[in-house]
Amino acid sequence: MADESNQLRVRLVTPERVLFEADAATVELPAKNGYMEVLYGHAPLLAELGAGDVTIQGAAGSEAAGAEGPTRYNVSWGFVEVLPNRVTILASDALKPEEIDVQRAEQQLDRGLKMWKEAGESEEAYDEALRVISEAEAKMASAGAEIKTH
Amino acid sequence: MANVLDLRRRIRSVKNTRQITKAMKMVSAAKLRRAQERALAARPYARMIESVLESLRRRVDLYDEKTGNLCHPLFLTRPEKRVLLIVVSGDKGFAGAFNANILKTAYQFISGNPDKEIDIEAVGRKGRDQLRRRYPVAAYSEMTDEHGEAHRLRNARLNKVELTGDHPGLLVHLDPKRVEEMAHNIISRYVHEEIDAAYIVYNEFKSVIAQRLVVERLLPLIEVGRPQITGAVEPTAEEKERAAQAAISAGIELEPADTTEADEEAKKFGTSNVDYIYEQRPEELFAGLLPQYIFSMLFHAMTESVAAEHAARMTAMDSATNNASDMIDSLTLHMNRVRQAAITKEIIEIVSGAAAL
Repeated sequence: MADESNQLRVRLVTPERVLFEADAATVELPAKNGYMEVLYGHAPLLAELGAGDVTIQGAAGSEAAGAEGPTRYNVSWGFVEVLPNRVTILASDALKPEEIDVQRAEQQLDRGLKMWKEAGESEEAYDEALRVISEAEAKMASAGAEIKTH
Repeated sequence: MANVLDLRRRIRSVKNTRQITKAMKMVSAAKLRRAQERALAARPYARMIESVLESLRRRVDLYDEKTGNLCHPLFLTRPEKRVLLIVVSGDKGFAGAFNANILKTAYQFISGNPDKEIDIEAVGRKGRDQLRRRYPVAAYSEMTDEHGEAHRLRNARLNKVELTGDHPGLLVHLDPKRVEEMAHNIISRYVHEEIDAAYIVYNEFKSVIAQRLVVERLLPLIEVGRPQITGAVEPTAEEKERAAQAAISAGIELEPADTTEADEEAKKFGTSNVDYIYEQRPEELFAGLLPQYIFSMLFHAMTESVAAEHAARMTAMDSATNNASDMIDSLTLHMNRVRQAAITKEIIEIVSGAAAL
């Protein structure tokens, strides 16, 4: 049981498939109101996710075999359920940092900024523009960090 | 009477056709297998969204305590005057009665609701082509308002049934992003009271032998977690039998893979019997969850429909291959008879010629 090792069971699920499932020590999540880190024994929580990086530290199991250090995924929008010994992330979209197409993210950012300028009085349009911008920025940050470490 | 040479040519041509149908069947079988895997992989997400929404609905009042407002517009029910019908058909033909059956069900739905205005949204090329021939496309006009922004406004409705949109190529790769866009479009139409309800017609696919045509209600959300099926057509026993035979000869498993364990696991999402800290207010959670739920229902319908299309094509091509084999047999028999008759005739001629000497 996970109780002895103080490990979290982490699952990352996207509409298409289960992307990641393993035991890990900690998980950092981009909740809608800011990043939070979850350790073993966290109080039950249900939160909406924003756009950003999910960082899984100390992942064990076959999926992470050979990969030293944290496992990172760029996720955009979704939900997370935290239980004392389990974290389940439901993401609308999830990518590994190396899978991110920086050029497309830049285009997305431009599109978002354009939407922002054209939003006018409409609050809905602003929200939509903000969503696009933050998603693009999160993608670029995530891909950019990857380039620096190499 | 046809001569031997003609018959031989016919047999060769039918053999060629059989080669093609056989190849198409194997291709469909391979695609079916992939579609099944994809449908299976997409299950956990759909289940989790469903269960968390269900549990949230049980815990949170739908109506705000102080103001008495409904916490999300998608729960609102109105008298159904304008209805959106999403028809999911296949992109290609050669799939037996697959597309025809879907269209038949759609037509039945339309003729069964004569007093309602119906907007049709066509997914899949075959269905779109047919529906376009039958119903007029909704007219839109481009407008520019005082801020210089372009708006697309729908003209006054001229007909009871209109085609409001199609989604060519959506089923080819089944990109979740595009399905999500479609879900958002439907939701915004519902929220802006352009439509009072949304239904989807598609071919449900549990396994090769367990499939049926269903009409399911997407909106309004009366009950979460249970498909709101308003009409279903089961295949006949004969059709099932044929599908089963085709599947066996193509090496497809009849029973769906056992996912009970994974499903149980997925059902637990967000439903543990503890007091959750909800980071956001219930309204916000609903606002985030409901579009995802609609999306996952749409995505689910489409993955199933794609699998069903390949299964239908596989079955149709299996039947075609069998028919070709039967035809070859009977033509070969006929050819042998003709040849034998010619030989017999020649012998009789020789014998009677000899007797006359």
